[in-house]
Amino acid sequence: MKKKIAIGFEGSANKIGVGIVTLDGTILANPRHTYITPPGHGFLPRETAHHHLDHVLPLVKSALETSQVTPEEIDCICYTKGPGMGAPLQVSAIVVRVLSQLWKKPIVAVNHCVAHIEMGRVVTGADDPVVLYVSGGNTQVIAYSEGRYRIFGETIDIAVGNCLDRFARVLKLSNDPSPGYNIEQLAKKGENFIDLPYAVKGMDVSFSGILSYIETTAEEKLKNNECTPADLCYSLQETVFAMLVEITERAMAHCDKKDVLIVGGVGCNERLQDMMRTMCSERDGKLFATDDRYCIDNGAMIAYTGLLAFVNGIETPIQDSTFTQRFRTDEVHAVWREKEDLVLEG
Amino acid sequence: MAATVPAIARAEQNWDFSCNLDVNFESEEHALIAYTSLAVDKELQPDKVKRVMSVSNNKLSVHFEAIEARLLRASFSAFVDVLTLATKTIQEFGQK
Repeated sequence: MKKKIAIGFEGSANKIGVGIVTLDGTILANPRHTYITPPGHGFLPRETAHHHLDHVLPLVKSALETSQVTPEEIDCICYTKGPGMGAPLQVSAIVVRVLSQLWKKPIVAVNHCVAHIEMGRVVTGADDPVVLYVSGGNTQVIAYSEGRYRIFGETIDIAVGNCLDRFARVLKLSNDPSPGYNIEQLAKKGENFIDLPYAVKGMDVSFSGILSYIETTAEEKLKNNECTPADLCYSLQETVFAMLVEITERAMAHCDKKDVLIVGGVGCNERLQDMMRTMCSERDGKLFATDDRYCIDNGAMIAYTGLLAFVNGIETPIQDSTFTQRFRTDEVHAVWREKEDLVLEG
Repeated sequence: MAATVPAIARAEQNWDFSCNLDVNFESEEHALIAYTSLAVDKELQPDKVKRVMSVSNNKLSVHFEAIEARLLRASFSAFVDVLTLATKTIQEFGQK
């Protein structure tokens, strides 16, 4: 039997990516392009959408060429329905609707957060972990239970990646390849730990207060030579990552799961991985993490997750192929996981 | 102008501002593909901006109406961006 093949479009934030995958998780092509703003600036919806408009079609061509797959061989066309920024999401949605009609292939709408989880599972082989999903737009501790990915803890204000990105703007660090990467490198040179607020509230975390605190005190401290930019990066990372490890550990105890999978853009931070690995080993569990190819938004994760849904009979009629800024992880019925459960029980 | 319009006139909603856009495609099939792709996304403020689309022969016709010039411009410009994207996609991948 011919292998099932899907093409996936991701454009919910500042990356636009097109991936082509098979059902066993083999990635045939996964090109992407990142909208990088000047130091001190974030990315805004309209400018980001224009970036995506310029790059999406060359990426489709490149993905088809690299994979040596023809449109006829593709079984379904997947796209990110949400969550994310509206205008950038629309770019993928429009291209997918046109291609679906030109190629006469069905559409599958995909939840961005679920796609991160499924990509992480297939790449690392983690079977049933507690998932820490950390990126510029999301911070959630998730575990699968009875058909859905349930959120056990999350941020009550801004995402951890947003906190790091915005602090990078204060220091005017480069956004290339990403602000978080540059904070991580600078943090390695930090020597003094500066006390910052620590904001864990039950199963949830809060980052906006920490950001305000460090934004207002950084300039003064740097001017008086009380600390270096490296010290601040180091202290911020240690503080926010400790918070994340704490709520992840609590979710593990609650769900009685041993392993942790970290996904999302902040997930490629090696300091976060180290701290989480220490915690897991103390609980006789394992840490599963991936590098920037899979952690950071990409088209393949959308293609793969869409394909899982497609082979379980899920398709999105074109008139329903909308996009939405808010789309919670637990709204998705993960039918493919139920099939896995049946196989295991049977 | 908007600031001086009394509340009553606001409630009646005068669709004072309008514009039309016609785009010719290579075939009716392509015009219909563009129409179907763009009709999915509704206007974000339907009480302030209306968009009506139709296809006849090879032509996609779009009619906008708004209660403020500012909103008309914003909707029109956003629509032209996605219309251009749909058209480019058809040109690039619609060759038989």
